Amino acid sequence: MSKELIDAITEMREDDAVDITRKLLDAGTDPVQVLDACREAMGIIGKRFETGESFMPELMLAGEILGQISAIVKPRIQQAGESKKLGKVVLGTVQGDIHDIAKDIVGFMLDINGFEVTDLGVDASPDKFVEAVKQTGAKIVGLSGFLTLAFDPMKFTVQALKDAGLTDVKVMIGGGQIDEQIREYTGADAYGKDAMAAVAIAKSWA
Amino acid sequence: MKIIGEKINGTRKRVAQAIAERDAEFIKDLAKKQTDAGSTWLDVNAGTHPDKEPDDLTWLIETIQSAVETPLSLDSANPKALQVGIKSVNKTPMINSISGEPERLTNILPIVAEHGCPVVALAMDEKKIPETSEKRFEVITKIITETRAHGIPDSNLYFDPLAMTISTNTKSGMIAFETMRRVRQEYPEAHLTIGLSNISFGLPARSFVNRYFLSLAIEAGLDSAILDPLDREIQAAILATELILGRDAHCLNYIRASRKGIFEKPVE
Repeated sequence: MSKELIDAITEMREDDAVDITRKLLDAGTDPVQVLDACREAMGIIGKRFETGESFMPELMLAGEILGQISAIVKPRIQQAGESKKLGKVVLGTVQGDIHDIAKDIVGFMLDINGFEVTDLGVDASPDKFVEAVKQTGAKIVGLSGFLTLAFDPMKFTVQALKDAGLTDVKVMIGGGQIDEQIREYTGADAYGKDAMAAVAIAKSWA
Repeated sequence: MKIIGEKINGTRKRVAQAIAERDAEFIKDLAKKQTDAGSTWLDVNAGTHPDKEPDDLTWLIETIQSAVETPLSLDSANPKALQVGIKSVNKTPMINSISGEPERLTNILPIVAEHGCPVVALAMDEKKIPETSEKRFEVITKIITETRAHGIPDSNLYFDPLAMTISTNTKSGMIAFETMRRVRQEYPEAHLTIGLSNISFGLPARSFVNRYFLSLAIEAGLDSAILDPLDREIQAAILATELILGRDAHCLNYIRASRKGIFEKPVE
């Protein structure tokens, strides 16, 4: 039964995926099982994206399908039967930079891998990150930046978190031309070359 | 169609290496090749940390100028780097770029006005990238009001309507074309330009998307672009498009290019 759903999602058959979801729920399937099938499908799509088999528009469509299914399933969940989240992440593109596509992919991958992601969008000031960490209690912060002008804002954000006493928060950075030298310069705890690396780093800190 | 050769860009790994190692021969070679392929300007982007950028940009400029006489396009968002770099140029450079962001206008327009530079102007402002062609045109109007106030002639402006990737919005191409047509209509003296490869980010077989987008953009009014002048398919696309639009008197450019072998597959 859930194989049908998984296939509909991985084959990008939006209408089929929604129909099958309704059929499963009407037949009395546990809503949590439906969400598990979704997660499995998203994992497959995520892997295909990383290997270059799938492309961004498909990733986005998958996200939309998941959104539609969630909207149908969530009201039917009796208890908080959702799988526990591995942790909370505050993510954003730093001040002065508006590149967002790669950040969005990192957010998507972290989400389907079990993290609760708060995405601050682009041009996010150090204060915005500090506020979000305080509000969510997140222990992981992801800073994205494409321009070389992003390195200093990354440094300031790491510093702002320390100044606010949030010393148990770990920071990972990624984006254009980031390497060990830049990581050291910014004071971040780790850097990643792509979304897969971000997930690996976050999991190691969870 | 004026070409801004894009290859000397420090955000590309091999170029970054050449800049770090001060590999002059590598840079000079890129400059010569792009010039021979018909570039009107050579874009120069150091792509390094703001602290190192002025020195790196200066070195790039001096190295390129020791090999070719092609005018340069100074590519940096850092006004300090531009101010230092412009001291080393032999010819009036293009400035890449300004936008509707007040900070960028305040810091960079004086340089542009003082030296009479052509300037690339991005159709975005502090409110980020406008989603509709109407809003992008509004930003363009904001920019042209400023440049006119600084005494900069419209013909020195190269508006970039922004080729956002089709991956995230299938209307991106149409939005760019609508913006271009409006600029052509309302500001006929101003030029248009585009950073070509952005349109295909995140898609497979990117070169086809780039090529056909360029062709359609030329019809919408594009008269310059930042691209790889060494790409034969792009050269061919430009030649064929200009021919088809009736801009190639007696088809001579096309025929001459054919004789030069531009349309033939290179011998492996």
